[in-house]
Amino acid sequence: MSTADGAEKRPGFFARVWKFIVELWGVLIRPSSVFGLGVLVMAGFVAGVIFWGGFNTALELTNTEKFCTGCHEMRDNVFSELKSTIHFTNRSGVRATCPDCHVPHNWTDKIARKMQASKEVWGHIFGRIDTRDKFVDHRLELALHEWARFKANDSLECRNCHSADSMDITKQSPRASVAHQRFLFTGEKTCIDCHKGIAHQLPDMRGIPGWQ
Amino acid sequence: MMRKVTILLLAAALVAGAGTLAAQTLNSGLRGPAPLNDEGPAPPMAPNKNTAEKEVRNYPEQPPVIPHSIDGYQIDLNGNKCLSCHARARTGESQAPMVSITHFMDRDGQFLASISPRRFFCTECHVPQSTSNPPVSNDFVDIDTLLSRATPGGRR
Amino acid sequence: MTSPKLDRRQLLKLEAAAIAATAAGMPVPALAANVITERNAAELEWNKAPCRFCGTGCSVIVATKDNRVVATHGDIKSEVNRGLNCVKGYFLSKIMYGHDRLTQPMLRKTGGKYDKNGEFTPVSWDEAFDIMAEKFKDALKKRGPSGVGMFGSGQWTIWEGYAASKLLKAGFRSNNIDPNARHCMASAVAGMMRTFGIDEPAGCYDDIEATDAFVLWGSNMAEMHPILWTRVTDRRLSAPHVRVAVLSTFEHRSFDLADIGMVFVPQTDLYILNAIANHIIKTGRVNKAFVDAHTVFKRGQTDIGYGLRPDHPLEKKATGAAKANDATDMSYDEFAKFVADYTLEKAAEMSGVPLNRIRELAELYADPKTKVVSFWTMGFNQHTRGVWCNNLVYNIHLLTGKIATAGNSPFSLTGQPSACGTAREVGTFSHRLPADMLVANKAHRDIAEKIWQLPEGTIPDKPGYHAVLQSRMLRDGKLNAYWVQVNNNLQAGANINEETLPGFRNPENFIVVSDAYPTVTALAADLILPAAMWVEKEGAYGNAERRTQFWHQLVKAPGESRSDLWQLMEFSKRFKIEEVWPEELLAKKPEYRGKTMFDVLYRNGVVDKYPVSDIEAGYANDEAKAFGFYVQKGLFEEYASFGRGHGHDLAPFDIYHRERGLRWPVVNGQETRWRFKEGSDPYVRQGTNYQFYGFPDGKARIFALPFEPAAESPDKEYPFWLSTGRVLEHWHSGTMTRRVPELYRAFPEAVCFMHPDDAQEAKLRRGDEVKVISRRGFIRARLETRGRDRPPKGLVFVPWFDESKLINKVTLDATDPISLQTDFKKCAVRIEKVVGS
Repeated sequence: MSTADGAEKRPGFFARVWKFIVELWGVLIRPSSVFGLGVLVMAGFVAGVIFWGGFNTALELTNTEKFCTGCHEMRDNVFSELKSTIHFTNRSGVRATCPDCHVPHNWTDKIARKMQASKEVWGHIFGRIDTRDKFVDHRLELALHEWARFKANDSLECRNCHSADSMDITKQSPRASVAHQRFLFTGEKTCIDCHKGIAHQLPDMRGIPGWQ
Repeated sequence: MMRKVTILLLAAALVAGAGTLAAQTLNSGLRGPAPLNDEGPAPPMAPNKNTAEKEVRNYPEQPPVIPHSIDGYQIDLNGNKCLSCHARARTGESQAPMVSITHFMDRDGQFLASISPRRFFCTECHVPQSTSNPPVSNDFVDIDTLLSRATPGGRR
Repeated sequence: MTSPKLDRRQLLKLEAAAIAATAAGMPVPALAANVITERNAAELEWNKAPCRFCGTGCSVIVATKDNRVVATHGDIKSEVNRGLNCVKGYFLSKIMYGHDRLTQPMLRKTGGKYDKNGEFTPVSWDEAFDIMAEKFKDALKKRGPSGVGMFGSGQWTIWEGYAASKLLKAGFRSNNIDPNARHCMASAVAGMMRTFGIDEPAGCYDDIEATDAFVLWGSNMAEMHPILWTRVTDRRLSAPHVRVAVLSTFEHRSFDLADIGMVFVPQTDLYILNAIANHIIKTGRVNKAFVDAHTVFKRGQTDIGYGLRPDHPLEKKATGAAKANDATDMSYDEFAKFVADYTLEKAAEMSGVPLNRIRELAELYADPKTKVVSFWTMGFNQHTRGVWCNNLVYNIHLLTGKIATAGNSPFSLTGQPSACGTAREVGTFSHRLPADMLVANKAHRDIAEKIWQLPEGTIPDKPGYHAVLQSRMLRDGKLNAYWVQVNNNLQAGANINEETLPGFRNPENFIVVSDAYPTVTALAADLILPAAMWVEKEGAYGNAERRTQFWHQLVKAPGESRSDLWQLMEFSKRFKIEEVWPEELLAKKPEYRGKTMFDVLYRNGVVDKYPVSDIEAGYANDEAKAFGFYVQKGLFEEYASFGRGHGHDLAPFDIYHRERGLRWPVVNGQETRWRFKEGSDPYVRQGTNYQFYGFPDGKARIFALPFEPAAESPDKEYPFWLSTGRVLEHWHSGTMTRRVPELYRAFPEAVCFMHPDDAQEAKLRRGDEVKVISRRGFIRARLETRGRDRPPKGLVFVPWFDESKLINKVTLDATDPISLQTDFKKCAVRIEKVVGS
């Protein structure tokens, strides 16, 4: 058998890896005989900037609506639903793109969310929600994830634009003004508690608090 | 060819109509000033009223109109946005009017534990109100006004 | 007043009180002084009446005080609506009080004389009828009976439609009378006549509570039949196994309840219907016993054209247009072979509906354990192959035997309050007589002439001008004296620019319009007659489930306005029978010499048989007062004699004032819920199980009919499909509902609904003023990319209720060649931004 044959000819995989690591370590700790220390530090810094910049650029690229709507699961379901809502068009023309609400703005959370998102790539490849019907079947599960995240971070992504401190309640409709004073300003509720389904259609709401 | 014929016909209708229709004294407020052989401009879309103020009903059996905007409110198999404020259990928090107790009755007049499914789609009876003004007014007289009148029968 | 009557009226009051007491949110007076303590003053008069709007036929309880309607609410005793109304129904109290109500006849005059180009001037009824009679006589002289015509509607009361039909067909001897039900129900009628040989549905609304699945074919019941929708919703949400399938060319409110929502490419419904039949056959789920015993197979004529003017290229090309309604026999095997090409896969591909949904839909029908109700209205009927669609949906129900039993029901919904009662049952169509009889059938004419006491040969033997043809004949100057009652055809008919408006303004024609309000049709007329409406007269309507309902006159009509019935009968006095009948006809009935049409048609010993004293005490009846006999009762009883004993039995007149309607045939006092089924239909012979007795062989027809394309489809120049329709808050042309401020504000003006991506591509935005342009005309409207209607890419939807945006200037007057009903759902348009707006 080929694996058995190979084993006779070459050392084992782990042995080879170990040998490579030992050799690399040797190179890395050996002082440079060609470049000065300063040059090396500068080069390292520049390389770091390029690498980091590249990483961030790539990351930001995945943070655009164009990227999000690149696959039809997003384009034909959640994005097309967004189009008829106030977060897509409104009087002032300030609009929310997918990542505004769905990607955390601080770095650690963002990276954590991006790692989670690898699961979505998996789902895309295996066609977990590749038809409207399949998407609708999973809508509750998907929505629950997002609601839980908003609830846990006190609707942080809402508040990136909608700060309670910056609200002029005299400019709000009477209903909104009263509700915000009673529940938002007192900290009793967070945005997502009342504003579910403002950007996308709702899943089956049976059993969801406030929707009995 | 077809278009040419159409244009000719339109022109003919215009000529035929111009003399007659401009002269009429009778008018329809709902049609507006545009003669029948022309189409007038469409006024801008007016927003809906968005207040918490109740409007007086014309008679007690009239379903109240919705004084606020309901843009984007979802009422479907998945849920009913209106009830998230107007359901009995929700009114404490929302301070919205509770749905009428008639809504708990089924087809046979039995009271159910919750709102009767036949009342599920609120907008069949309750409608929001645009801020635009109706071009034709209505002379309906409510019962209180009628009873306080000196001459019964009113305008007629 | 006799005591039982008192009891009934007291009962009504009690019900009303019960409703009022349970109505929450009733303004509770803060001060005792605000309570009306004097019992007499606070007491209201409560009476029943059917709703004035759609074909559902809800019953309403109406409160009157001092000759005014002061309140209305849903009738808890009515089987149809059990206390509910839709928003329009709840505002019925206000429909008669629009400020611009017409109260006197208006004639176009210049210098004190009638002038086609003059200004509308108030005239007396005498003067109005003088000029009208003169013009009708001129037209008769010039062209004979074909020179006069009438356009009515399914909003006529039963006796008004009957009196009008008699006036035209027997009096003027012209079959040029059609109702606007032609725009609405004609395809359903022809569909039933072809499949069952008798008009109107086998089932009834009781099917809703008994079924397992609803399929809406193009119907938006949530907006167009709201109260039936509450019953469907009730059933769906109360019984979780129930499924709702909704098919349409765009998404609308009915999709909110849909388990299976399907948006299909216009016209491909023909494909889907055939594919379902094929699926049933291929999967071996045909109900063989039922099919063998109760059906026969027919191959329908194809390539039947589009009902356009004969010189239109499409008509010249159509090889089967002249025999559109023909069919030949075929076998079950031949039928199976015919539909074999229509696979679910092909249907999915053609229609754009995902295959799994089409399969789910087909399974609802195929599964023998699932009871199915199919509902349809204008989506099928307003279709150049509308009759075919009706036939094809019956095919599916017949192949599976899902018909005429509780919960199994192919059910054609109706648009108007009396589309069935007046247009269809009375036969106010240009080709019909009462009780499904035809003018072209000698035996049928003989029956009518006998009942009407007319000499043989009075009724002309050829169908007259139907709705669309009337407009064309007006334009061509061949129909010169024309009377329009209870409808607004200048807004409702298709292709106004090329046909209707030039027809109305043609100097050769004299146009009379009877209406309560200055509609666009009235404004385009030469003489306007002010009409009484709804409870200002005694009336009767027949709803979609064969239910006949009566109401009493409850208030007086304002000013000099009069009911259509009074107008018809009073006008008939202006003609001596010698002026309308030829000598050879008169010779057969010399006793009619010197008499007026009124005498011959309405003072014939039957219509005038019932004295004014027969009127239930306490109710006004302005027509009886004017003519000296109980007009409504006489007309009804004469009319009812057509159908009694022939499957169309109506109960005696007085019963209907007591009941919340009865579903005909009413035999031995019992109404019929399911026709054609032994045990529930008294006309079915014992031992037959089912009997489709509309045909002599007792069998229903299953039709082989193919897919054929629409009359006009989008192209490069006109890239969008245009579909038109209604909205919940407005009824038809908005004449009544747009005069109720609350309803006006609920949907103030018509908009053009469009997919947001189409708008973006065309650089348009929500709220932009756009022109909707076709080859025939344009309108200006605001663009809407949100809201209740969500068209797919490539289609726009514009409702037609708004008279300031006459969308029917844009539509095409192509019709189904069999039913002659217009397709208002399909034509090609382009959308342009209005520059500078």
